[in-house]
Amino acid sequence: MSKPGRHIVQYPKEFSLCAGCTSCEIVCSLLHDGVVGHGYNRIFLKRSEPDMMHTIYACLHCEDHPCYEKCPKKGAAMLLDENGIVSINEDECIGCGLCVRACSFEPPRINMVKSKDKAKRKAKKCDLCRTRPEGPACIEWCPVRCIGMSDEPLPVTAENAAETAGIPANERADDLAYGKA
Amino acid sequence: MTQYGYIGKIARINLTDKTVGVVNTFDYVPKYIGGRAVANRIFYDEVAPGVGAFDPENKMIYMTGPTTGTGIPTGGRSVFCSIAANNYPEQYAWSGIGGWIGAELKFAGWDGLIIEGKAAEPTYVFIEDDDIQFLSAAPLWGKFVHAAQAALREAHGDDVISCVIGPAGENLMRNASLTTSNDNVAAKAGFGAVFGAKNLKAFAVRGTGTVVPADIEKLFYLRKHMGTPYMRPSPVVHEDEHGMDGNRIPVEGGWDRGQVACSHGCNQHCCRLMINIPSAFSEKETVNQVEKCVGIFAYGFQEDCSWSPIMTWETEQNAILPCKMLSDEPPPIDGTDPYIDKLFEHVPGDITNYWKPDFHKGSVMMHLCNEYGIDKWDVIVWYMTWIASCKAEGLLDDLGFDMEPDAENEAFVRYFLDMITYRKGRLGKIFGEGMARATRTLGQEKYAKTIYQGRYSQVVPGLKLDIPVSLESAWGMSYHWAGRGYEATINRPGWLAIALELMTVTRDNQTVAHFHDTYDHLLAIGDDPCHSEVLIDSVIMNENKGEMKDSVSTCEWQSPDLLWTSMEAEMYTAATGIEMTEADINDAAERSKLLMRAITMRNFGRDRDMEVNAVFPTLQYPDPRGETVTWEDWNDFVDLYYRKRGWDIATGWPTRETWERYGLADIADDMASIGKLPA
Repeated sequence: MSKPGRHIVQYPKEFSLCAGCTSCEIVCSLLHDGVVGHGYNRIFLKRSEPDMMHTIYACLHCEDHPCYEKCPKKGAAMLLDENGIVSINEDECIGCGLCVRACSFEPPRINMVKSKDKAKRKAKKCDLCRTRPEGPACIEWCPVRCIGMSDEPLPVTAENAAETAGIPANERADDLAYGKA
Repeated sequence: MTQYGYIGKIARINLTDKTVGVVNTFDYVPKYIGGRAVANRIFYDEVAPGVGAFDPENKMIYMTGPTTGTGIPTGGRSVFCSIAANNYPEQYAWSGIGGWIGAELKFAGWDGLIIEGKAAEPTYVFIEDDDIQFLSAAPLWGKFVHAAQAALREAHGDDVISCVIGPAGENLMRNASLTTSNDNVAAKAGFGAVFGAKNLKAFAVRGTGTVVPADIEKLFYLRKHMGTPYMRPSPVVHEDEHGMDGNRIPVEGGWDRGQVACSHGCNQHCCRLMINIPSAFSEKETVNQVEKCVGIFAYGFQEDCSWSPIMTWETEQNAILPCKMLSDEPPPIDGTDPYIDKLFEHVPGDITNYWKPDFHKGSVMMHLCNEYGIDKWDVIVWYMTWIASCKAEGLLDDLGFDMEPDAENEAFVRYFLDMITYRKGRLGKIFGEGMARATRTLGQEKYAKTIYQGRYSQVVPGLKLDIPVSLESAWGMSYHWAGRGYEATINRPGWLAIALELMTVTRDNQTVAHFHDTYDHLLAIGDDPCHSEVLIDSVIMNENKGEMKDSVSTCEWQSPDLLWTSMEAEMYTAATGIEMTEADINDAAERSKLLMRAITMRNFGRDRDMEVNAVFPTLQYPDPRGETVTWEDWNDFVDLYYRKRGWDIATGWPTRETWERYGLADIADDMASIGKLPA
């Protein structure tokens, strides 16, 4: 089993219960691809019915990155940065799916666009939004703060969590609702 | 060219001959927005007068909105439209639903479904992108709701999303619901029975495609601002008590509460998830289930729901969206509000004495409704209150129940729900028809109109309030925020507005049009609401917002936002890229309302006499202050409304000018041809 690196984690329900809204998946695919659809998100909400105790999965950024090693176009279609984060260059990705099969975890943490058009088949993998100054968008936009980074301390209180994210709890009341925007 | 918001096609699914056709969504949009407005047009064009709910000629139209699947909050909601089984008399109606099913259908490449005909054998429809299969439901028939959902996942994979009926729908029980993920149901119209009549157990969907919103920057703005999401942790909390107001009781060992979202992409979590509560089927196992507004009364109903003006009348300083109330997270009160003392006045609910709180029995009642696929609303608000009231008045002795009827006895609740679900015996057949029909079969004078002696006001302490044993309002529905019956504790302008909203539709309108307005308007309405143009404007605003909710789509708990009146138009444009002003979308809502009017007029004989007489008698029982409305005032109120809508005062039928103003000249011609165009 590969050793995980810095990655996105789901907090325990005693801290925050996943509401099942799929905001994490939606925000991910919108920011990266401008669409919403199951083939495009790099984070996964595994729905649990009927108990509604949903589980969130994302790439664990393994230190030995077997997905990268298996890529027939590694260095071109799959890139490895100085922090050990593997990302995908879709212009070069041929959609072969070997990276998905190489993933050490079940379910695999790499998504694949399904399409009858082979040219549209592309791997989609979490890169922790490495070019985004605010960090992973899924974390920022989770309405209930049920996900965070594995190497960061669990926020202690609701107020603390909101401050950490830089989002005032009741922003609209100040800037929009009463005509001050 | 990229298609924004909409997918562009609707599947016409014929169960009789197992064929699938493709309808171009753009035959209907943007003129009819999406959702219910599109369904209204399709139904008007395709279903002739004389068709009943259970006839193969009845069509079940399921529509998403242009925001569905885009990630715009509340867009995950979608709507079913058909002739309803549970209305009295049967009429065309709608029923909204959350979950992930609407988004999944769009991922599969469809904006909606037109389900027609009747399958020869129990069937379910499996939709996987363009591939739509008619499969045998023999292995599913008879299964409870969750077992049927599990069987579909077993057959087609964990990622398949389904919408199913339970045994109640199979047995044409008129309160039967449709259930999708997260215990989301379309319940109000008895559409589960319409599915059952079509031999349709379920449809299940897997989609591999995408939905593309037009304006992603705006979409993120909406995600941050609609409903003011707190963006903070929502922990599971241990509760030591359950219930509200006088129904609150300690729970031995407590229970755990979480909050979940109802639908794909929402930014709120207003559904209360009750975790590890008693199961109806095993003393050893527990279940998780969702409780929304009415569910809390399954546990105890010796006192009605309390009310505060802030729940209906809002100010700039203090406006609380219902989603914040349901998640127990109201925003801080702004003490600078000049009306603060009035807004937050606690108005206690009536003493009802229906049943004492019982956590185990309430959990069992909820679980049985979930698994049988029955509308909880009518079980809690109507069947069981009727049992309690009739028992108190000594009316049940001769009916022939197999055990002592008692709404406080868990064994009786089990027996009764089993009986109506499977329509066992003479009483099962009678009550399986729903309460409106059951009381008519048994005899209205005794079994509906007998006055229950257990209702007392707490607004005027000691005042005894008449209420009939059967809490029927109009169209085969039960009271809802109507000044009497369940959720009676609203002020007079509020219940008059809600009664007027109910009058022109075919079912309880409060799932899309809980009445809201500003406190300034309440002051302007004054003490003569039946002659207030301000109140009429307010009714029309709420009705139009209701049309938008099921069409754009958005949600009753986030709309209307009285401080952001263009919200729905902004959602629409963000989804589709089609410019839509607040005035434009209001016109589209008027158009949808007119289509509903056309359907009820042409197919179901709707006119002024019919609807005024359906609602007025229900308002003759006193509200918590002992007040009613006179025939003269009620008719003046209706006159004002018709005038403002552009409908003829004598008949309630829209004039040609009104039809044409909203681009419906063809319907004006149709109405002229059947003698229903006012001179």
